[in-house]
Amino acid sequence: MGCKASRRGGAPAARVLGPPAAAVALLLAGTCWFAADTHAADNSLDVTCTPAAPAAAPLLSVEELTAHIDHALADAWQRDGTTVAPPADDAEFLRRASLDIIGKIPSVSEVEQFLDDAAPDKRRQLVETLLNRGAYAQHFANTWRNLLLAGAAENVQSQINTPQLDMWLRLRFAVNMPYDRLVSDIVNAPIEAPQQPATPNMRSFIPSPAAFFQANEQKREMIAASTARIFLGVQVGCAQCHDHPFSDWTQRDFWSLAAFFDDPSNGIPPGGSSANAVSIPDSDIVVEPVFLDGTQPDWQTESAKRELLSQWMTSRTNPFFARAAVNRLWDHFLGRGFVHPVDDLDKANPPSHPELLDELARQFAGHGFDLNYLIRAITATRAYQLTSRASSVEDSDLSTFARMPVRRMTADQLFASIVQATGYRQQRRRAQPGVLPDLADAAAAFRARFSDSTVPRTEAETSILQALTLMNGELVSTATDLEESETLAAVADAPFLSDEERIDSLFMATLSRRPDAEERARFVEYVGRDDSPGEHKQALADVFWALLNSAEFALNH
Amino acid sequence: MRHRKNRSSSLELSRRDLLRLSTAGLVTSATLPWLESAADAAQQPAARRSCILLWMNGGPSQMDTFDLKPGHENGGSFQEIATSVPGIKISEHLPKVAAMAEHLAIIRSMSTKEGDHGRATHLLRNGYLPQPPVRYPTLGSLVAHELGDPLAELPNFVSIAPFRNFNPAAYGPGFLGSQYAPLIVGQDNNAGAEEGAPEDDLTVADLAPPEGVGSDTVGERIDMLAWLNNRFVSDHAAPPAVGYQTAYERAIKLMRSKAAKVFDLDEEPAEVREAYGRNRFGQGCLLARRLVERGVPFVEVTLGGVNSIGWDTHTGNFETVKDLSGTLDPAWATLMSELDARGLLESTTIVWMGEFGRTPKINQNTGRDHYPAAWTTVLGGGGIRGGQVVGRTSADGTTVEDRKISVPDLLATVCTALGIDPMKQNVSNVGRPIRIVDTDAVPIDEVLL
Repeated sequence: MGCKASRRGGAPAARVLGPPAAAVALLLAGTCWFAADTHAADNSLDVTCTPAAPAAAPLLSVEELTAHIDHALADAWQRDGTTVAPPADDAEFLRRASLDIIGKIPSVSEVEQFLDDAAPDKRRQLVETLLNRGAYAQHFANTWRNLLLAGAAENVQSQINTPQLDMWLRLRFAVNMPYDRLVSDIVNAPIEAPQQPATPNMRSFIPSPAAFFQANEQKREMIAASTARIFLGVQVGCAQCHDHPFSDWTQRDFWSLAAFFDDPSNGIPPGGSSANAVSIPDSDIVVEPVFLDGTQPDWQTESAKRELLSQWMTSRTNPFFARAAVNRLWDHFLGRGFVHPVDDLDKANPPSHPELLDELARQFAGHGFDLNYLIRAITATRAYQLTSRASSVEDSDLSTFARMPVRRMTADQLFASIVQATGYRQQRRRAQPGVLPDLADAAAAFRARFSDSTVPRTEAETSILQALTLMNGELVSTATDLEESETLAAVADAPFLSDEERIDSLFMATLSRRPDAEERARFVEYVGRDDSPGEHKQALADVFWALLNSAEFALNH
Repeated sequence: MRHRKNRSSSLELSRRDLLRLSTAGLVTSATLPWLESAADAAQQPAARRSCILLWMNGGPSQMDTFDLKPGHENGGSFQEIATSVPGIKISEHLPKVAAMAEHLAIIRSMSTKEGDHGRATHLLRNGYLPQPPVRYPTLGSLVAHELGDPLAELPNFVSIAPFRNFNPAAYGPGFLGSQYAPLIVGQDNNAGAEEGAPEDDLTVADLAPPEGVGSDTVGERIDMLAWLNNRFVSDHAAPPAVGYQTAYERAIKLMRSKAAKVFDLDEEPAEVREAYGRNRFGQGCLLARRLVERGVPFVEVTLGGVNSIGWDTHTGNFETVKDLSGTLDPAWATLMSELDARGLLESTTIVWMGEFGRTPKINQNTGRDHYPAAWTTVLGGGGIRGGQVVGRTSADGTTVEDRKISVPDLLATVCTALGIDPMKQNVSNVGRPIRIVDTDAVPIDEVLL
């Protein structure tokens, strides 16, 4: 971010911001929480460069923010007479937090350790441990890859550069890079993918977010639409061809945003007043780059166009940026955003808890867009720690956050969880000159069959083909094969285990909990029917197969 | 089966459907024997409508199939032959199709703007240009959503030997969700297929348990699974749990069903298999007939996908088109005559199309390049008034001179022929309602019965 350097030098960062309150109000249906009224930044923060911090917003600690969320939701539940679900038990919490933070279920030993831990703050400690694991960076990189490649996740061009994007994102999540910086880096990245070395291997591989631009066919209008949607929660894309039918966006607004991006295939239009002008296709209209709130970039700074755009986007006074991020993260953990669909912060689509969203956004910005701060606060809330158990579908009004919804896993979560449960080892290929080693081969194939990343995870979406893959496909077949399965061998061959303990282990490996009495009785009876070694082991394989195929295993609940 | 009408919100209703199913599912999955193909839908063919899409991957040359220009320098070497309809002439390499022209409406005035394989494939197959983040469903998913029976033993959308590399999203269910994803049959080039016995590979992946797992074991496993799932779903009553259980029930039903025998082409007499052509497309058309007989509402068969880009004849156009025509002709003609003999042609709409046409001008490699401005598609069978040509191109083939037809017009015609309202709205993944076909579509009236 260009302004960081200037701040370090002691000079105030250039102010290109400050949307007129009127323009913002127009866009925000009355909730204009980031008004232009600003004062000096809290100097204890070393992250953001904009001098503006929202007025009268004391910074809350993680615990204070959690308490604030709990109060706000409790008030709403009381006001509306909402029935609140009971709390989740430890096993439920462990599994959920693991899937949400590191993208896979816990191992048997993690389950045992956590369930037997008597520490009163063990849930908080768990979150801390999970945030420090490499798998956290990987899971958030996967999540953001799916988001950045959205509808084009299978686009062949961007697929080629997906490993570079994954690594690029992983490196940033691993150090908890401030979110404003992460987004600036994406917006300002070279559109062309870097040339990979002639004999590539994982060491010399150049991370790059170029797949994002390729997924958008490197076209300025597609990049602009994706940028606005993903980072600002603004669906301005419809205005590409016509004025937005449901809100105030005009075609001119859209192309003024698109004008911040260069497009090698489109030259400067005749009659354009500057090198930055863009003509709207099939029309005579020529527009200059203008921010979505109607303000003009400050060309005096001589920053590049996209740099000016990213400075405006990630500013603390931007009315969309922090809100969109907070809404998305809330959706990540609670299965639904305050604004739903999550990418549509439009006045026609108001949030379920407007003040709470505003406060979270304010705190997120105030804490230098620190993702881990928000994650710690959200995972400690009562709402996050409610059970997903429900006896009737009528109980599932997702917008009250009075019960944890059941969610489908992403393809990445399901694959990683199967690997975790079974000890499946991916075949690793040696790097070959001229060929990128495809370390994620099995994962990529699995992902292709299970990918539906843009369908809300709280919707029902399992295909026959997916069920067949899990029942009869190579992955689970290998995992339950007597010769090849690591977990199964460990459980079946350990001489000191009773059948009860064997069943317990298989349950913990797959469902991250111990079986209840009825389950234990049924499966112990099943494996005890024939105690010849071959049959006994086969029976354990059958139980393992049933557990791996169960809804409880495949869903995040 | 035809009870699903005019639904305003697909997501909501698909959820409701699932909940309705779950009530039955919770009770029956473990305890009752699976119903084996009891509802043999073939007994009442008139009540049902189906669509078979013959997808010509790569963009077939209109000038060398259905809109020849003999005598013109753009015309190339092929001759025209008469068809069963006086006045209509097509390529000499499609004689069997020519004999069935009374069932076909040849649309010679397709005019589109997209000349890129990936984008055009999406345009023709999904009805819209790609515009992330909206995930437009492919035609088969849309039809399965409208006409499919959620309780059917067989999937409602089967895609045979697809080539998805140009644009995978053009083969996906988009915002309608995985329940409307195609069951893919046969080698899928996208997964790195290799050359093999091409006509014998039309199988469903992972339909059979792995080797060494006997049917008793499968039975025991499925019993345990059903027991676990019933327990879980009964105290996690939520759409993903119910949907998961339903998908498993349908998959298991398919595994155990006699209906899965539909994929066993060995049940067909050798001479029938010969008549379609002993190749992937020919046998795929035979499989399509078998699926439609059993009530599957949408089947697509791709010609020109595996190991080549079929109709993308930038070089050596004439040999390739002649070759592909030799595969297309017997398969398509036999498909229509067999459907006709079973009384199914009047309820089965057949669509022949690729993503665009090819340049009238022959290039220096005796090839033809991408050409969306003036090209041909063909409709036939159910709901279609056959025996006619729609539109006209100029003498050199470069422009449409009469009755320009857009992609939405074409797809709206197909929908109408199938009894589907093309203006029906579905709720998309971005929360906006999106019509099955774009609003400016005008169905081709003269083609509709």
